[in-house]
Amino acid sequence: MTDDHTETRKRDDTNRMDELVPDDPRDRVAGETVRSDGGTVDSPFETTSSVEETRGDRLDRFLEGYARTPWSIMRQDWRALVGLSILGVYLLVATLGVYLVEPSHPADGPQLLGAFQNWEYPLGTTSSGRDVLADAVHSTPSILIMMASGALFTIGVGTAFGVVAGYKGGMVDTVLSTVTDVFINIPGLPLVIVLATLLSDWINNPVALGVLLAIAAWAGLARAIRSQVLTIRNESFIESARAIDLSTRWILTKEILPQLMPYIVVNMVNAARTIIFAAVALYFLGVLPYSDANWGVMLNTAYEAGALYRPEAYHWLLVPMVAISGIAVGLILLAQSLDRVFNPRARARHQGGEEEEPMEPETDDTTDVMQV
Amino acid sequence: MTITGSDATADAPEEDVAIRLRDTSVYFGMDRGRSMVLNGVDADIRRGEVLGVIGESGSGKSMFASALLDAVPEPGVTTGEVTYYPEEGEPVPVTDLSKAELRSLRWEEISMVFQGAMSSFNPVVTIRTHFVETLSAHDYDVDRGLARATDLLADLYLDPERMLESYPHELSGGMKQRVLIALSLVLDPEVLVMDEPTAALDLLMQRSIISLLEEIKEKHDLTIVFITHDLPLVADLADRLAVLYAFEFAEIGPAEEVLETPAHPYTRALLNATPNLSAPLEEMRPIEGESPDPVNIPKGCSYHPRCPLADEECQQIDPGPYDAGADHDVHCHHWEQSIEDLDVAFEETVDVGTRPSAAGRASGEPVVSLSDVEVTFGSANDGWFDFGDDETVTAVDGVSFDIYENDVLVLVGESGCGKTTLGKTAVGLQKPTGGTVEYRGRDVWEGASGSSLSDDEARRALQIVHQDPGSSLNSHQRVRTILEQPLKRWHPDLDGNDRRERILGMLEYVGITPPGDYVDRYPHQLSGGEKQRVALIRSMLINPDLILADEAVSALDVSLRVGMMDMMIDLQDSFNTSFLAVSHDLSNARYLAEKTGGRIGVMYLGELVEIGPAEQIIHDPQHPYTQALRWATPELGSETEETESPIRSIDIPDPKNPPSGCRYHTRCPEAREVCVEREPELVDVGEGASQPTACLRAQDDPDYRMSESITDDV
Repeated sequence: MTDDHTETRKRDDTNRMDELVPDDPRDRVAGETVRSDGGTVDSPFETTSSVEETRGDRLDRFLEGYARTPWSIMRQDWRALVGLSILGVYLLVATLGVYLVEPSHPADGPQLLGAFQNWEYPLGTTSSGRDVLADAVHSTPSILIMMASGALFTIGVGTAFGVVAGYKGGMVDTVLSTVTDVFINIPGLPLVIVLATLLSDWINNPVALGVLLAIAAWAGLARAIRSQVLTIRNESFIESARAIDLSTRWILTKEILPQLMPYIVVNMVNAARTIIFAAVALYFLGVLPYSDANWGVMLNTAYEAGALYRPEAYHWLLVPMVAISGIAVGLILLAQSLDRVFNPRARARHQGGEEEEPMEPETDDTTDVMQV
Repeated sequence: MTITGSDATADAPEEDVAIRLRDTSVYFGMDRGRSMVLNGVDADIRRGEVLGVIGESGSGKSMFASALLDAVPEPGVTTGEVTYYPEEGEPVPVTDLSKAELRSLRWEEISMVFQGAMSSFNPVVTIRTHFVETLSAHDYDVDRGLARATDLLADLYLDPERMLESYPHELSGGMKQRVLIALSLVLDPEVLVMDEPTAALDLLMQRSIISLLEEIKEKHDLTIVFITHDLPLVADLADRLAVLYAFEFAEIGPAEEVLETPAHPYTRALLNATPNLSAPLEEMRPIEGESPDPVNIPKGCSYHPRCPLADEECQQIDPGPYDAGADHDVHCHHWEQSIEDLDVAFEETVDVGTRPSAAGRASGEPVVSLSDVEVTFGSANDGWFDFGDDETVTAVDGVSFDIYENDVLVLVGESGCGKTTLGKTAVGLQKPTGGTVEYRGRDVWEGASGSSLSDDEARRALQIVHQDPGSSLNSHQRVRTILEQPLKRWHPDLDGNDRRERILGMLEYVGITPPGDYVDRYPHQLSGGEKQRVALIRSMLINPDLILADEAVSALDVSLRVGMMDMMIDLQDSFNTSFLAVSHDLSNARYLAEKTGGRIGVMYLGELVEIGPAEQIIHDPQHPYTQALRWATPELGSETEETESPIRSIDIPDPKNPPSGCRYHTRCPEAREVCVEREPELVDVGEGASQPTACLRAQDDPDYRMSESITDDV
């Protein structure tokens, strides 16, 4: 790019500024007053070198913020690595595993074969001769979808209600808080049982089931987030944003939400665990209608086959239990490590995907300590 | 480092010393190295003296306090010797004591008042319980202790019976601080260590507590270590002053000598950087640079990167104490040159000509005009299922003023007087419950829905800069994002490169270089002064007409305040912006207003009691309250004798239920009967320039002359 070009661009820019404020009542003479928006020729901006930023640079910055920095932070944390690995295994099972492992049917194999005894049925078989591994694998996709939809529904609705009610206040707050309170006070389990019966056509859809199970869970989160927003909205930087007249949407999503992200993420993971546990419990109790085998149903049938007191049927009970516990542990580890991803101190240190010289990692601690 | 005060201690008898520190260090282990927050300090604290320890934030002054009691919080490590010499008995090596021994040393022998009285109490138990718990924890006789507590509270001008039955939330900040002092003295300690005991309090309260401390010290035969960042505050009280810089003592000596002939360049610079009421403005200047990081303390003299006299020697050799007069030690190789070459501002009292006053400019159309503005908070008792008291507080009660082009108005007052509320009302962030706020003749709240203005032009023109640089920037956004938003909102036609250029230019303009490096930083990577600059240019980027600077310099270090205010003045000149500043500190207000030829407005309990050109408000205050504020502002180097307090009661009346008539009559030394009944209007009493004052006495009202005094002693 030539110098001429830069000159022209700058001049255009100046002209544009004049058009922007054509009827300036203050009637300032250009040249006497420097305008802080850089409108006049002799502003301090002329002194800086012009750095052109291309689309590529911007894409690069986007990737930097949303991919490289988080990855660099998480790479350092064993909890993140373990958590991600565990969830990765579940995802692989849910996507590839279902093609590799044949679905099983009653009387496919011998009855109650123990685990690791026959490599055709590595995890053994049930009393009706179904392959335990195949049952466990084929219930994974629906469980994951259910879990994800339930968790997203919980934090989506909970955060939206909480943030808007807390920030807007007044009538909006009253209405949203009333709705929240109603949902808090609805007894969750009976509601789910009733709805499951009424909506039995839909219930086999894992997304619908996930949302159904979350229907009573989001309200508590909304309450908690609302109270946090109430304190954040009194912070000076929110008032500055209002003075600058930034849009409410920007204030909610870019000023307030990042402050809450660690809390929201932890709650999302907790919600996911709750959904799984609830679903499994309801399947186990036989409240939910089912067509395919899943972990809860497996637990139920194993229990009814007396697996609790029949050592030869233990594997039937253990496999779904391990599957459930494993995903819960993976989620917890991931949630703990995500906390750091949203910490600006950690982000600053991992800028550029590499851990730089720690800038001032413990400044806050030092000040706290020094004020004791 | 060798022994400080060696000559003095060698001559003085051993029992004269209450606490002796030898090569005492405190450090914290960190990822990036050892953080030395107290670096080999030697000091003697003598029995019966008041030692003022002065340091900026992050100079290690609180660590010094904690080290005296071996109370450095984990995982900090204290090394070196701290020895306590009781009046009778063997010296106690504080650092070697067991936990039980420490417990009996603390509070019984050496007691501490922490900063932040607000959080030092348990909110769910009464004050009496605090005393009883303290007494029984130390196996003291509770009844005798409570009798002593009653005496102490009475000495501090508190009603002991009421105090003991109160819960902490029922007390004002000043009351809490005084109760805390009583609590720390209830076990009759020898030494009282006070860490910024008045930092959170108003000027008047600070000054009153300082006066009380002198009485308490005499009565109870105390040794006091008073730690503060506020040099003028402690100047009158202290017998000796110790100046901390970068975790070491820069200078220690008799208070008068340190103030009059400071030998260390840092002390001299600090004195120059401290805004006060009498020194000529030209002499006030900030200290360049920033305090060092505790992990990388500069080699040699820690002050050499900022020192004008620094040479090779300073960079290499840690200056030991040089004897700069009897009992006066200084850690500087060039202290003699420092005394000769570096001026101290307050020594001269040449009157300076100021720029044309705002009254002269007042001819034009006002930018913002407030008329009879009233703001109330809370809800009135509507008598329907509402058994509580009427809960409304009138924060601002009928205030009118105009702000012109390129004008500066500083509002001064104690906390809770409504100055911030008034300021926010003036910039359209707080909706007034009565009266009007006009921007260039248009009512800004006209057609507004809810709490935001509908008039875009007014919204852009009225901006705010907050008090606390820590919370005025969103900690999750980079400087780039923070500064881009106002441009995106108000100049949507600019593309990313134009915005970037403008931001870089502005950063450079306020001295943040290299700007390209700073735009990608998060707020926590900026220093306090840099954060405040970023906050200021965020408002400046959209070219506002009026900026509310809400205590914009209060949170900064003393050495940076003058620099920040200079920058604000500079920006005001360049960008033709007006400032409405809010300050609780008369010296800061004076600096800002006098240098720009602006005005100062004094507020009391929601009312504007006096407004006028800075010069006149400072040197010829008409309202008794302004006079009291002026009295409460500590002065450096003033030879005047300690004058009697010009207020009758040191506590502010309850703003929920303000006094009748003139609201100041409960504290005014000149109050007469008519003041109780008649509310004075703002009437111009100035000679020459306009100086409206709401005081019947200043207005020479005939009713006032006829009326009887209601003060007891007149």
